[in-house]
Amino acid sequence: MEILDKLVNVALIAATLRTTAPILLVALGGSFTTKAGIFNIGLEGQMLAGAFFAVIGSIWTGSALLGVACGVAAALAFALVFAVLVVSFRANEVVVGLALNILAGGMTISLMKAIFGTRGSIVGHGIVGLPKVQLPGARELLGSWAPLISGFTPIVYVAFIAVPLLVLFYNRTRLGLYIRVVGEKPEAAEALGISITRVRYIASLLCGLLAGLAGAHLSLGYITMFTENMSSGRGFMAVAILIFSNGDPLKVLAGCLLFGFADAFSLRLQTFGYPSYLVLTVPYVVALTALFALSYRARPKIIAETLASMQRLLSTDKNTGPDGKHPS
Amino acid sequence: MVSNAGSPTLHMKAEMAVALTGITKRFGAFVANDGIDLAVRRGEIHAIIGENGAGKTTLMNILFGLLQPDEGSIRLNGEETVVTGPAVAIKAGLGMVHQHFKLVPSLSVADNVFLGMEIRRHGLIDHAAQIARTRELSKRFGLQVDPTERVGLLSVGIEQRIEILKVLVRGARTIILDEPTAVLTPQESRELFQTLRSFVAEGMTVIFISHHLEEVMEVSDTVTVLRNGKKVATRPTAELSKDELVRMMVGREVSFDRRPRAPSRGEVVLQVEELWARDDRRLPALRNVSFTVRSGEVVGIAGVAGNGQTELAEVLSGLRPASHGIARLKGRNLAALSPREIRRAGLAHVPGDRMVRGVDRNASIAANMLMGRQHRAPWSSCGVLNWTVISQNASRLIKDFDIRAQGPGDAVKRLSGGNIQKVVLAREFTNDADFLLIDQPTRGVDIGAQEAIHDEIMRQRAAGRAILLISVQLDELAALADRILVMFNGRIMGEVAGDGADEDRIGMMMAGVAAPELAAEPA
Repeated sequence: MEILDKLVNVALIAATLRTTAPILLVALGGSFTTKAGIFNIGLEGQMLAGAFFAVIGSIWTGSALLGVACGVAAALAFALVFAVLVVSFRANEVVVGLALNILAGGMTISLMKAIFGTRGSIVGHGIVGLPKVQLPGARELLGSWAPLISGFTPIVYVAFIAVPLLVLFYNRTRLGLYIRVVGEKPEAAEALGISITRVRYIASLLCGLLAGLAGAHLSLGYITMFTENMSSGRGFMAVAILIFSNGDPLKVLAGCLLFGFADAFSLRLQTFGYPSYLVLTVPYVVALTALFALSYRARPKIIAETLASMQRLLSTDKNTGPDGKHPS
Repeated sequence: MVSNAGSPTLHMKAEMAVALTGITKRFGAFVANDGIDLAVRRGEIHAIIGENGAGKTTLMNILFGLLQPDEGSIRLNGEETVVTGPAVAIKAGLGMVHQHFKLVPSLSVADNVFLGMEIRRHGLIDHAAQIARTRELSKRFGLQVDPTERVGLLSVGIEQRIEILKVLVRGARTIILDEPTAVLTPQESRELFQTLRSFVAEGMTVIFISHHLEEVMEVSDTVTVLRNGKKVATRPTAELSKDELVRMMVGREVSFDRRPRAPSRGEVVLQVEELWARDDRRLPALRNVSFTVRSGEVVGIAGVAGNGQTELAEVLSGLRPASHGIARLKGRNLAALSPREIRRAGLAHVPGDRMVRGVDRNASIAANMLMGRQHRAPWSSCGVLNWTVISQNASRLIKDFDIRAQGPGDAVKRLSGGNIQKVVLAREFTNDADFLLIDQPTRGVDIGAQEAIHDEIMRQRAAGRAILLISVQLDELAALADRILVMFNGRIMGEVAGDGADEDRIGMMMAGVAAPELAAEPA
C-alpha cells in the first residue's frame, strides 16, 4: 500500500493533466479535420514545427507569448500547405501528411544546425518559458488538493477549456454543423450551397492553430528547450485516438487522459529505477491496448469496411488494366 | 393603350403557377426535350407521366434550374423568369424533392430540415425553435416524423417526408416530386397522396413525375404525357381511361414492319412454373408467373415499366432469388446455380440497364467483350490473359456487328448508346448460348442502330436460339415476337400472337384488365 500511495497521489494526477494537455490539444485540432472528412496524418509535423518555432520566437523576442504566436504561425503555415495540396489539388492526404511530417523533422534539424550550430537540442540561449498561473484562492479552498487546478501554464487551461467549447461548437454553431455535414455527406452540403472547399480550408487551419499551441506547450511549457523529434509520436497517438473517437471532443478527452495518465505514470516509474527504455513504452502500450479493446466490439464493421475498400481498389485495377496502364 | 381584352389574359396567366413554352434540350445528338409546352394551374396536382427516358426528369430539372434549356421560355406565377439555378427557382416559390435523398445521417430530423437556413439566437443554433417549427409543419400536413430522431435510424419513407419538409420550410408554394413512390410501400404511397391533397387544399400546387398509371389516375387532377422527349397531350384526369393513358404513353403508330420469318418451333429451352419473387422493398414483384420459351421462337414480354419485368430478368439470370416456384433452363433448376453456372448452362443476358450491368464504361471495348469468358481458353491460359487473342476477337466482333469505334482499345464510354448496346450484343450473342434473355435492347438507341439490333435478334432466332424479349415498346414486340405475354403488377395478364397483334387488347391488359374479361367480348 505504501508503494501505491507513493505512486498514486495528487502530484501524479497533476502530472497527468500536464502531460495530457499537448496531446489533447493536437487531437482536438485533428478533430476539426476528422469531422470535415480529411484524414490528417500530418499532426505530428505541425506539432513539431510549432515546438521549434515557439523556441525560436521566444529567443528572438524575449517573450513567451510571442514565442507561442511564432509556433502557432509555423503550424498554420504547415496546415495551409496541407490544405492547398489536399483540398485544392486533391492530393492523397496520407502521402501529403507523411511528407509534411518528414519535412518538419528534417527542417527543424537543419535549421538548428544553421542557427545554433548544434545537433540534438537547444537549451539556454535565453529561451523564455511560459509562466505558471497560480489561481488566487485555490490554496485556501482546496488545501493540499490545490495543484489539481492551480499552477499550470496557460496552454493547459486552454486545452481543457477547449473540450466543452468544441462540444458547443459542433452542436450549436453553424460552422461546426457545416464541418460535420461536409465530412459526413458532401453531396448534401453541395446541394445546400455550402462550399466544401472553404469549410475544409477552415477546418485545416483550425487544426493547425491547436497543433501549434500543442507544440509550443512541449517546448515552452514545463521544460524550456527544443530537442530533435520532440513531439515523439504524440501526433500519431492523436491520429489513433481520432480514428477511434471519430473526432468527438468528449471521447477525444477520454482517450487523451488515458494516454496522459500512462505517460505521467511512466515518469513516476523511472524514479523507482526501472530501465528507462522499457518504462517509456508504457504509455504507448497502454493506449494501444485500450484502443484495441475498445475497437474489438466494432471489429466486424471495421473488417467489412476494409474489405469494401479493398474491393474498390481491385475494381479500379480491373478498370485500368486493359487500357494498358499497369495496376500498381 | 390599356384595352379591356388585355386584363383577362393577364389574369389567366397569373392563374398558372408554371408555364413552359417550347422547351428544347439536347445532349449531343440526343434530343431529351423537344419543344415541350407545359401549363400547370395553381392549386392542382399535375402528373407528368411517360416511360423511362421520355424526358420527364430533364424537363423538371430545367424548370428547377438544374439544367439550362437550349430553347424555350419559363413563366413562374405569370412572370417570365430565366431560371439560372435552383436559388432562383426557390425564390420564386418552387421546391423539388429529388429521387435520391440528400440527408445527413448523424443529424436529427429538425437539423436536416433546417440545414442551410438554421434558426439562430445569439449566434447559436436554436434547436428548440427548429424542433418546434418542424413539429408544427409535420402536424399541419400530416407528415408524421419525430423531429428529434437521428435520420440514420429512419426508413426511406420517412426520409422522403423530411425532404418534403425541407422544401416546405423554404417557403415553396409549388412542389415538384420526381418519382416519389418509387421507393415507397403501398401504405406509404397512400399517406403521401393524402399529404399532396392537403397541399392543394391550402392552395399550393403539386407537380409529380411517375410512370405508374394507377397512382396517376388516383391522385392527379391533370395529366401530361411525354413520349420520346415530346409532349403527347395534357388532359384532365377525369376524362381519361387507363388504357387511353397507356396508349398515349407507349404510342399507337407502329413504325416497324413485322419481320418476315420461317415458322420454327423446337424443343422447350426455358420453362418457368409458378414463379414468385420479391422486389428490393420486399414486396411481391412476380406473382405466379408461368410460361415456356422454345428454341427458334421469340417470346415477348410487354408491359408498362415497373410491373415485374426487371425482377423476372433478374431471377432468370440468377441475380435475384425466387421466393417460390421454379425456372428450368434445359431441364436444370436455376435456383441451384450461381450466375456463372447459369451462363455456362446456356444463358446469354442483355441487361435492361446496360451502363450498370451491361458494360464497364471506363474499360476498353476489348475488355468488355472479354467479360464472362476471361477464365477460359483461348482468352486465357493458366490464369494469364492472352491479349492478342482478346484484341483480335474484339476487332472481328467490331466488324461483324458494325460497331462504330476506332478500335478494340477504345473506351466504351466514348461510344454512343447504340454502339454500346452493340458491344453487349456482340459479347452475349457469340457465346453459343441456347437461351437469350434480352431486356430493352433498343432503349435510348438511334433508329439506324435499332434496325441493326433487330436484324441481329432475327438472325439469332433463325439460328435456333430460344429468345425472351422484354420491351416496353409495343412496336418492337410486334415486329419481332412470335408470341407476346403481357405483364401487369407482377402477373401475366394474357398472351397474344405476335402476328397481327391487337394493340387495343394489349393496351387493356397492360392497364390491368384481365384476359378472360376480354375473351368474353366478341372478338
